[in-house]
Amino acid sequence: MKKADRVRWWTYLILALATLACVFPLYWMFVVATTDTATATQLPPEIVPGGNFFHLAGLVFSTVPFVRSIINSLVVAGTIGVGQAVLCSLAGFAFAKLRFPGRNVLFLVVVLTMTVPTQLAVIPQYMIISQLGWVDTLQALIVPGLASAFGIFWMRQHLATTLSDEILQAARIDGATSWQIFWRIAFPLVRPAAFVLGLLGFVFAWNDFLWPFIVLKSPEMYTAQIAIKALQNSRSIDLGLAMSGSFLATLPLLVLFVFVGRRMVVGIMDGAFKG
Amino acid sequence: MSPVSFRRATPAVLAAAIVLTAAACGGGGGTSQQSGDGKSFEFWSFTGINQKKTVEAYKKIHPDVQVKLTEVGSTAETAQALTTALAGGKVPDLVLIQGDDLPKFLQQPQNFQDLRQYGADKMKGDYLDWVISQSVARSGEIIGIPTDVGGMAVAYRTDLFKAAGLPTDREEVSKLWPTWDAFIETGKKYTAATGKAFIDNAATSVFLQAVNQGPEKYYDQNGNVIYRTSPQVRTAFDLGLKAIQAGISAKQSSFSEGWSAGMGKGDFAVISAPSWLLGQIQDNAPGTKGKWDIATIPGGAGNWGGSYLAIPKRAANPKAAWEYISKMQSPQGQLDHFLEAGSLPTTPSVYQDSKLLSQKDPFFSDAPIGKIYTESLLGLKPYVIGPDDPAIGSEFLAAITNVEQGKGDPAKAWDAAMANIKTAIGK
Amino acid sequence: MTTTLSPRRTTPEAETEARVRQSLAERLAPYAYIAPFFLIFGIFGLVPLLFTFYVALFDWNPIGEHVFIGLDNFSRLLGDPRFWNAAWNTISMWLLSTVPQLLAALVLAHLLNHARLRLATLWRMSMLVPYITSVAATTIVFAQMFDRDYGLLNWLLGLVGVGPINFQQSVWGSHIMIATMVTWRWFGYTTLLYLASLQAIPRTIYEAAAVDGAGAWKQFRHISIPSLRPVIIFTIVTSTIGGLQIFTEPMLASHTTPLTCGPIRQCQTLTLFLYEQGFGQFQFGYGAAIGVALFVLIIVIATLNYLLSARIRPER
Repeated sequence: MKKADRVRWWTYLILALATLACVFPLYWMFVVATTDTATATQLPPEIVPGGNFFHLAGLVFSTVPFVRSIINSLVVAGTIGVGQAVLCSLAGFAFAKLRFPGRNVLFLVVVLTMTVPTQLAVIPQYMIISQLGWVDTLQALIVPGLASAFGIFWMRQHLATTLSDEILQAARIDGATSWQIFWRIAFPLVRPAAFVLGLLGFVFAWNDFLWPFIVLKSPEMYTAQIAIKALQNSRSIDLGLAMSGSFLATLPLLVLFVFVGRRMVVGIMDGAFKG
Repeated sequence: MSPVSFRRATPAVLAAAIVLTAAACGGGGGTSQQSGDGKSFEFWSFTGINQKKTVEAYKKIHPDVQVKLTEVGSTAETAQALTTALAGGKVPDLVLIQGDDLPKFLQQPQNFQDLRQYGADKMKGDYLDWVISQSVARSGEIIGIPTDVGGMAVAYRTDLFKAAGLPTDREEVSKLWPTWDAFIETGKKYTAATGKAFIDNAATSVFLQAVNQGPEKYYDQNGNVIYRTSPQVRTAFDLGLKAIQAGISAKQSSFSEGWSAGMGKGDFAVISAPSWLLGQIQDNAPGTKGKWDIATIPGGAGNWGGSYLAIPKRAANPKAAWEYISKMQSPQGQLDHFLEAGSLPTTPSVYQDSKLLSQKDPFFSDAPIGKIYTESLLGLKPYVIGPDDPAIGSEFLAAITNVEQGKGDPAKAWDAAMANIKTAIGK
Repeated sequence: MTTTLSPRRTTPEAETEARVRQSLAERLAPYAYIAPFFLIFGIFGLVPLLFTFYVALFDWNPIGEHVFIGLDNFSRLLGDPRFWNAAWNTISMWLLSTVPQLLAALVLAHLLNHARLRLATLWRMSMLVPYITSVAATTIVFAQMFDRDYGLLNWLLGLVGVGPINFQQSVWGSHIMIATMVTWRWFGYTTLLYLASLQAIPRTIYEAAAVDGAGAWKQFRHISIPSLRPVIIFTIVTSTIGGLQIFTEPMLASHTTPLTCGPIRQCQTLTLFLYEQGFGQFQFGYGAAIGVALFVLIIVIATLNYLLSARIRPER
């Protein structure tokens, strides 16, 4: 605790303002999604929701294959979330607890890859995807997303601090293989952290824009982000429609957030900075 | 297999399982390119041009054909998607390319089917020469068939004109501005009387239309780049600046949020409108129905826009795609599409058709849009469109917009445009 | 479980078996576990990067010819005012989005660190809301709020007598608009990272400092910040890498000129310029050259950042 016991009133004020800033754009999005363009561009601004929600939502569904895009996003983000949770735990385990030649160098390489801005190389990435015949497919989004240097770093930290060498040694004496140790001991121990990693990966993949934008071309392959963009595409912009789509695309994450938000907060904070 | 190696293999199996599942999910969902020329075909269009209606009409004639229509995005995005597809992905069987995006594709005709093999050269004569010539490659291949053009006219608000003491009848209004200078003068009168802006913006409504009125635009008839010296271009540019300096512009860039919103709020009274823009006015400002009318454009003739249907070389179903083109883009087909959706035909043989001439639009005070727009095409002096046309045009537009938004110095605008164009295209 | 290090069964077969178990399968296991990452990163990260360097040496039309031109793309790039414009925009927007973000996060983390704070979970969760909202959606929302004629922000400014600002069309305005979007998205996440580190600092240190007469600011400066050093370095480096690659916000903010972000490219970042040249102008080679330039820029700045911030020393 800091010096004084009492929390100053202005602390709450600042926090309230910060919260307002965080939530207001989303709220305003909802307001426009329930009214229309004319209301959105009126001054003084309208901040009370209207009754146009279902009409606009219906329009969203008929303009782009929206349900399909949500499903696509779920598949991509879900697979990446689960994939990262498992693969990064596995690799993190190897780096944290297994001894093998080149371990430190290889880990350094992993860390260094975090500095490589792979977004730049989209042009050759696109060419490779073409060669594989993966253009306009979901695997083009999923497979590259499974490699997360950050995730490996994160899981390694957690494993290093929660899995003691004694347990490891005891298991070895009992004749356990690395895989058994991982699956039966290590993974269960760090499941909370892996879960959070999976969540972060999920959110990131859900919101990813540039790569899906380049790779996906048929509307039924769109992810939610690209579908929102597609709503914006007619020469005249219908704000009500665009906001409705935006709101609907954010809704699944909000729902998820209500359930696991607290865990996300805890997990992020429990992060890799104990080591 | 001994239990040990099996266990070791498990992580690899797990990883492989993830990839395979992903592949299964992804692969099944995407559209597979059919081998062989079936009756169905995949068609990429852009939004806002209502190809849906034409496709439905086609389905009525050929109920056994499956047409998979995808509205990919804006015209530019559709062109980009086409580029990425041609570069190594799945290509559609039929694609709609907007005129501004066509030059770059025309330079690489090997990416498209030469439509002459299907009989396009016999159909060539059905279309306006200057329109069809835009889709003929240097080596003679016809890679696109025109679907529509824009024509050019001025859409104006009768109620706002009345309030400003200006005539409202379309013949009278057309007489107000035979030239662009007269147009600007009218604008000054309007703004003086009402205190509001006359035009939506000078860049598109004045410059872009004026620069298209004459045979020497950015390229001369031999294909040389002449944007620096062409008087037509310089005049148009100066007109744009003049309109800005006259204080008659609402400074709303075309297709921006402010522009769409401003239509309904009466922020401006006049828009240079090709036929395809009329639909957008209706969408953006439904409350102004009946308050608009259409007059001729200063200079009398003009065109903005136009699209083409093309078949990529690697298309799986080129014949099915061609069937669609030859049927729906025949003079009759284009006429029908006009009557249904307002898209101006490129086939002069139907211009005298009574149905076309009598087509009226109640949103625009029953203006005879068929007549007005086809007339605007007839006086057109065609200009050559070269490969760098879009790049040159967008730099000019940007230079004027910059001045219009108050960020650029009008005296330096021309030189800025020259420098930017040189950087962009190297000439 | 055995409690002593008893040797394994010492029959010759068992020893062989143990050796086999210890040798190939077990020895290769770690490599198998880390292989997916290296494989995937190799194919989708490293190879494209190397290929970018390769394509940059060509005049590469995606649907036409590929002509080798050596370093011409680079010399053209160095002389291209649009490149320098994009570089300047990128750096400006990066600074405008990173500095306020990290400062705000520091302050908020400090405030949230109070043990007696009520509704702690509420504050923390609400700060993550921007992080989970989709970029495409929030860009549209913010662009509308920053609109010249009908935007919320200009309306508020109008209430205090400030004339309408044309954010979209001015250089600084568009940078501020985009920086606001990026800051808004990330500051909550960063706050939580800092908060975590702050919470690891024992109270006793603060109490001792309070006893010694140190006020809030002194405590903040001499205790909190130095302890936050590793995480601050981390966030500086990651926001450098991310901030220099901003693409989605500029592209979606400018509805009428998406690829150039404004008529004079006022908010075109290097990544957007790359995309415009590669996918808009059909010049993959030139686009790749821009990519190489951006890569160099990121490495240089990230390294500088790391070196500079590593100089925050714990004070006594």
